[in-house]
Amino acid sequence: MIYDLQIEIPYLLTLLLVVPLVGAVATAAMGGKRERYAKYVAGAFSAATMLLATVLLFTKDMGVYDESYSWIESAGLRMSYILHVDGLSVLMVFLSGLLVFLVTLFSSREGDRPNCFFALLLAMEVGLMGVYMSADYFLFYIMWEVTLIPMFFMISWYGGPRRHYAAIKFFIYTHVASVVMLIGIFALVFQSASGGVADFSFQAVLNGQFSDTFQAMVFLLLFFGFAVKMPAVPFHTWLPDAHTEAPTAGSVLLAGVMLKMGSYGIIRICLEALPQGAEHWQWLIIATGLVAIVYGAYACIAQRDLKKMVAFSSISHMGMVMLGIGCLSEAGIQMGIFQMFAHGLITAVLFMVCGLAGHNIGTREIPLLGGLASKMPLFAFFMMFGFMASLGLPSLVGFWAEFGIIFSFYEYASSNGMLWLIAFCLIALLLTAGYYLWAMQRTLFGRLTSKIDLSHVHDISRPEAAALGILCLLIIAFGFWPQAAFDFIEPYVGSLGAI
Amino acid sequence: MDSSIITDLFREFTPMAPMLVMLLGALVMPAVSLGYKRRGGVAAVSLAAIAASLLINAVLLASGYSGEYGGLFGYDAFSGLMILLFQSVAFLAALVSASSTETTRLHFGAYSSLLLAATAGMMFVATADDLITIFVGVELASITSYILAAMKRKDPRAAEAAVKYVIIGGLSTAMTVYGLSMLYGVAGTTSLDGIAASLSTAGFSWAFGIAVVMMIAGYGFKIAAVPFHMWAPDVYEGAATPVSMFLATGSKKLGIVVFFKIFLLLFVAGSAVASFATEEVQYAFAIVAALTMTIGNVVAIAQTNIKRMLAYSSIAQAGYILIVMAVMSEYALTGGLFHMFTHVFMKGGAFLIVGALICVGVGEKISDYRGLGRRAPFLAFAMLVFLFALAGIPPLSGFTSKVILFSAAIFDGDGVMTQWIWLAFVAVLNSAISLYYYARVAKAMYIEKGESEAKLKVPAPFLAAIAVCLALTVILGVYPQLLLDFCADAASALFG
Repeated sequence: MIYDLQIEIPYLLTLLLVVPLVGAVATAAMGGKRERYAKYVAGAFSAATMLLATVLLFTKDMGVYDESYSWIESAGLRMSYILHVDGLSVLMVFLSGLLVFLVTLFSSREGDRPNCFFALLLAMEVGLMGVYMSADYFLFYIMWEVTLIPMFFMISWYGGPRRHYAAIKFFIYTHVASVVMLIGIFALVFQSASGGVADFSFQAVLNGQFSDTFQAMVFLLLFFGFAVKMPAVPFHTWLPDAHTEAPTAGSVLLAGVMLKMGSYGIIRICLEALPQGAEHWQWLIIATGLVAIVYGAYACIAQRDLKKMVAFSSISHMGMVMLGIGCLSEAGIQMGIFQMFAHGLITAVLFMVCGLAGHNIGTREIPLLGGLASKMPLFAFFMMFGFMASLGLPSLVGFWAEFGIIFSFYEYASSNGMLWLIAFCLIALLLTAGYYLWAMQRTLFGRLTSKIDLSHVHDISRPEAAALGILCLLIIAFGFWPQAAFDFIEPYVGSLGAI
Repeated sequence: MDSSIITDLFREFTPMAPMLVMLLGALVMPAVSLGYKRRGGVAAVSLAAIAASLLINAVLLASGYSGEYGGLFGYDAFSGLMILLFQSVAFLAALVSASSTETTRLHFGAYSSLLLAATAGMMFVATADDLITIFVGVELASITSYILAAMKRKDPRAAEAAVKYVIIGGLSTAMTVYGLSMLYGVAGTTSLDGIAASLSTAGFSWAFGIAVVMMIAGYGFKIAAVPFHMWAPDVYEGAATPVSMFLATGSKKLGIVVFFKIFLLLFVAGSAVASFATEEVQYAFAIVAALTMTIGNVVAIAQTNIKRMLAYSSIAQAGYILIVMAVMSEYALTGGLFHMFTHVFMKGGAFLIVGALICVGVGEKISDYRGLGRRAPFLAFAMLVFLFALAGIPPLSGFTSKVILFSAAIFDGDGVMTQWIWLAFVAVLNSAISLYYYARVAKAMYIEKGESEAKLKVPAPFLAAIAVCLALTVILGVYPQLLLDFCADAASALFG
């Protein structure tokens, strides 16, 4: 809790699903002549959802909002509608609410069938909120898949020239991963079934007894499902394609909150339900993290497209989350969760900036740009700010997360006699600073480019600046006062205990 | 609910009441078509017959009625549920037939009569308690289906399809008769209960083994299980689309019901038989199931004609249902029955959309569906829902039924893992593969631009039938309990 507002909204968690759902339907209905007003409807609903999500941050005891209703109880199956928010999910719920509102604000210029565009954003929000709040495997899986469909259409309707290929690739990769995850979920639920009833709730699975071999096997299934989503090398190739082709709003949500579904799942399901499995595969988690960090950063240097570079940097930064989790220590997991939040804020800035480059300048090709700081000062400011935050400038939110993760990993490595592994982190840090500074130098500074026609280039509009400004303020605020986030994370990680 | 009105009316014939009404409808249909020259009037009468039969069955089912007639027919929760399934299929087919342009050249009275007779045959099988009544019911349904498939006389594709269908159908009948007679020779009786009782004391005999193989092959043709599936895509493509729908969703279930009746009754309910050959039969079915779903899905990817694609996807769906025969547990049967129902509405809905679009001049190629999202928003959206349901995307009905069906291969109802986990893996991966070809249709409809932008207006009966399928696909997805309890009752009725 940041500060106890002492208000209690009945059915808050259900509202977090219903409000965007109603909003999506209402916005989609604004077709034809009314489509100019679709953005206002979408804005109102997403703002309401964001405010509701923010209330959670100011609640002393989030447990009062837990909801649980029986849903299907037949043929030896028990599936329930259980919503639950704790220190792990509250930041993600807030981030989802915030980012959907901000991208709605940011995309207010969208002119091609805006009603569908904003309806897709709100539909995606339903799925995201559902994933982060559900405490029943059946509901969780449904919500997990619900996020796919709006994103598929977002990319294939509003994306770039190779959007069809990217959309199908995104869909197939993540769907195959999620069916593998589904097999893992079946195994968990049915192994923990007692009295002939297979209960899909998280709690019932936690009460189950699993042998070490079972844990190791099922962990692998679930880990694969989540790692593709994060994404981990070598299953990452869908991400750069999806990002390059997706519209800005899609990219922001994809990188800002959808990738986090992967790391959220690893913590919520793999670590909570299968602690021995996690210990067994600790080397794999760490290796995946290290490879992603270095490979992502290395690939960034080679990119000519600004947005593709940011996409690869996401792979690198999500690798950090994986590394933090892989330490399996309190500090490591805490920092991993904090990095999820921090990266969500920062990457939103980065993708918005890339979108603006494409829209306002007409190209995102780094070699074609140059000296834009003089022409577009506001754009240059936000781009610099985003890059600095992302490479971990002290006093901004990214610093705490990355520093903390590397510190936890140092502790792990030194106590296990593998200190040389730290070298990978250092290389990655160096590469990260390198590609950001180099990209900045080539785009913002130096002589004004003459390779493209600059006559129509214009700086950022007000709604876009507002969206970026809010994000930057939050990046500074949580940079100075990370404790506000740790107040949620610490008790949760403390309760994981067993590890 | 009280079933006394029906029992008073039909007396000892009550177990056959829904079929008798349906059969009566089939018999009066030609006479009706002499009186009414308009197809709409004929269709209305056939719909009334189906509705009356449906109502009777609904009352019997809801009141928990069970009874038997002369050891030949027995009505219980299982047969009631299967009758409901066949009636639903017939209702959807009859609703749209009159307004389909594919049936304009047919003798509509004969068409309706055959449709009702085929349904009655299927319903007889659902209640049959004896090898003879099973055989007669299957033949009634099959012979009428051959004619239904062949009715588009002027179309060479239909003629080819019908010839294939008749020859292969005849072959499968020959095999089943051979198998059934062997079974009779071993057991000395044709009643299913009697066979179970006499086999429980008998040891393994080669005659019994041959009987089992012959029956699997013969009825395997009916459900188009691999390797007996070759005829299905040709027949579904060649027949009028309402008939294709009827065959893909109804006729296929007929074979599955026979499998349930004969094999589950012999091997599980007649538990003593379990001492021999059960494992082998289970493995045979598991392999057939895995092959059927895999080949169905993989071949579907290569199809460019949407009816053929749906045909192969039907083959794959039958493969999923065959999981029940491998696992042979009550829980699996519950899931299988539920999946049979969800399949009726999702696959039926998809076929209906294809049929509706043929009426307004849209072709059968997937490429003809380009730009459909703008030309016919409701149909395109409904198609999207049906295809996603078939692929098992939550929260639609196909997802829920697959969860229960596939989980039956993992979990035996008491929290113990079964040996069929590999089958669940194959099934789940197949679901993922299937998404690829379903998504291709979605892509054509919503993403690619078509040559024409003109809005499409399809006949109202089609819209009504599609809306029913759409509603049930969504409702059974989010509230499966509506039907799941009936499925569980039916499963326990069959297992005794």
